[in-house]
Amino acid sequence: MYRYRSSKDTGSKSWVLQRITGLALVVLMIGHYILMHYQPDSGHTYGAVLARMQHSWYRIIDMSFITLGMYHGLNGIWNIFRDYKLRPWAKFSIISGLILAGLAFTAWGYNIIFSIPYISGIAGGH
Amino acid sequence: MESYSDLKTETPYSEIKTFDQKKWISENLHYKKDPGNWAWILHRITGIALIGYIFLHVYSLSPLTNGEAAFNNAMKAYTTPVFMVLEWLLFAFVLFHSLNGIRIVIVDWADGAKYHKQLYRMSWVLGIILFLAMGFLMFSHEILKLFR
Repeated sequence: MYRYRSSKDTGSKSWVLQRITGLALVVLMIGHYILMHYQPDSGHTYGAVLARMQHSWYRIIDMSFITLGMYHGLNGIWNIFRDYKLRPWAKFSIISGLILAGLAFTAWGYNIIFSIPYISGIAGGH
Repeated sequence: MESYSDLKTETPYSEIKTFDQKKWISENLHYKKDPGNWAWILHRITGIALIGYIFLHVYSLSPLTNGEAAFNNAMKAYTTPVFMVLEWLLFAFVLFHSLNGIRIVIVDWADGAKYHKQLYRMSWVLGIILFLAMGFLMFSHEILKLFR
């Protein structure tokens, strides 16, 4: 009987996760577009961003947005590579590169969100 | 399209057209493409473009760490007409990937394989409507000026 030589992972979990994160991203993206484009300057001035970020919910939503986007996007890229026969070292370097790039840019995104100060006195508070 | 009945009439192996590995570019360009093939190709292209854009997006928002003046100065470039048109085109990529993504979920989980071609056409119609609506929303000020 044939056995998987390198891995027993059939990828079915990643398949389900790709669909779930995709659907979540569609919902988040609708909110994002309404927020960014319903009013022309809502996303494009420091004041608007600062005011919005006084609500911790916006920070949490933005952080989940970037996390889900990175996972979905980089897993998608990996799915493209999975269509081709790769040597083990190529597989390893591609996965490492994708994970490192994902972690680095997610951390950078979090850092940008955390760098925006909470200011007492601005409406909303936290 | 070849039907299964063609395969039953014992065609010699040498006469069956197979994928020529050495001419993979022209083979990929010239095989007959049904809606599903196009959906798959465009889903990949838009997906690659969008993950590239996320990296760019984090980078372009990074001046937020340097305070108000730095951020507003950086944003000045992104609110020029050229960038607004690029943003609009980006929305086309987002739209295709979202609508076709929903179509994929319907195919996988809601028996959509039975009507996936209709879904593909519907996603194009809906996508074009939403694309034009977004164009109006983004450029309404300029568009309305033309009629005054």
